[in-house]
Amino acid sequence: MAAQKPLELILARNLLTSISTPAFLVDQHADLVFYNEAAGALLGRSFEDVGRMSPEEWTSTYGPFDANGKPVELDELPTTRAVRDGRPAHAVFTIRSANGSNRAIESSAFPIVASDEGSSGAMIFFWPRDDESGEDS
Amino acid sequence: MRIKVWGARGSVPSPGPEMNRYGGNTSCVELTLDSGEHVILDAGTGIRTLGLDLTGSIKVNILLTHLHLDHIQGLMFFPPCFRADADIMIWGPASPEASLEDRVARYISAPLSPVEVRELPCSVSFQDTPPSEWQLGSATIRCEAVNHRGPTLGFRVTEGDTTLCYIPDHEPALGTALAETEPEWISGYELARDADLLIHDCQYADDEYPLHVGWGHSGMSDALTFGSRVGARSMLLFHHDPLHADGFLDELHATARRRWSELGGDPAMIAMGMESEELEIGATAAPAGFATTA
Repeated sequence: MAAQKPLELILARNLLTSISTPAFLVDQHADLVFYNEAAGALLGRSFEDVGRMSPEEWTSTYGPFDANGKPVELDELPTTRAVRDGRPAHAVFTIRSANGSNRAIESSAFPIVASDEGSSGAMIFFWPRDDESGEDS
Repeated sequence: MRIKVWGARGSVPSPGPEMNRYGGNTSCVELTLDSGEHVILDAGTGIRTLGLDLTGSIKVNILLTHLHLDHIQGLMFFPPCFRADADIMIWGPASPEASLEDRVARYISAPLSPVEVRELPCSVSFQDTPPSEWQLGSATIRCEAVNHRGPTLGFRVTEGDTTLCYIPDHEPALGTALAETEPEWISGYELARDADLLIHDCQYADDEYPLHVGWGHSGMSDALTFGSRVGARSMLLFHHDPLHADGFLDELHATARRRWSELGGDPAMIAMGMESEELEIGATAAPAGFATTA
């Protein structure tokens, strides 16, 4: 059995389960430990289908890509910045869904900090930019 | 180890003739270890009568799950606080905002109290609970943050091969379906896993809970589902709502036993927290005293 999650991550997951904004939850290593149904609809696969993923795994699966179509460096992702620096971060980029289509999205990452020991993880929310397909970006 | 319940009520003391059997004092459980040490779980109003019962040289550890008034109200009326020969160590959740002593002192200070902490004649010290387990006498204590309103702990006390888990204020089903949730995502799971006795929040009957979602407490079926998921061998349902009179709690107990049986458990392993009740907890048999609470 996987190790018990800290309470703050449990509560964050319960929150994400209850909202319709697509969202990821990552742990203190930036491993993807949950995403909600809305994110599953955006990505074309449910979290139950893919399970826990390391940052390398989920970026190779879903991107994101910058405006020139190049993969965004892990260090530059809002998720990484939120977990590493304990600061909120925002970016606009393109992700690739399971069916191969691209979507332009805005993403905001919020660190989850419950003690002096630093970040327990982060919540990352996504807003599709419906005015941009992302196909050319 | 042996426990005695000095207060099983939640929220606010609720005295009255209709509450006589289960009692009206708020959360307080005395734990007597096989080595003879006393550990007190929470300092609700039940701790006042517990203190009257202590004799001889007094050295006690009080473990506070959190600082809501129903868990600390009895501190100011705990007789050993007014004895110069008493040695009291109070453990509680850490906070980035203020020390444990300063937070408790908000209650034991003017205008709420006629005395200040610094005026107490006993030797009293305050200690944030450590993030890892620690020893108190012959017991190993572990705590974890659990889902309630505000910083709140649950405690796991292990002595030899016997384990008690105490989570009096807990809403693990908030925002999740407990029966299907993976263990790693259940608040308090590791803390309560395979406990010989789980003392757990059961403030509401199932039909009351929908009006209290998010208040930090459990409905009966959620409490039992939690107990079943963690593999608790027996449960003491606790933190009774102040509106629940003896007759209501008798009915809730009967319903809880049926529900536990439906979950595959032995209904005799479900009891209600009842003031003045003493239970002997062992790893090989039902806690002595359970049969009498049916």
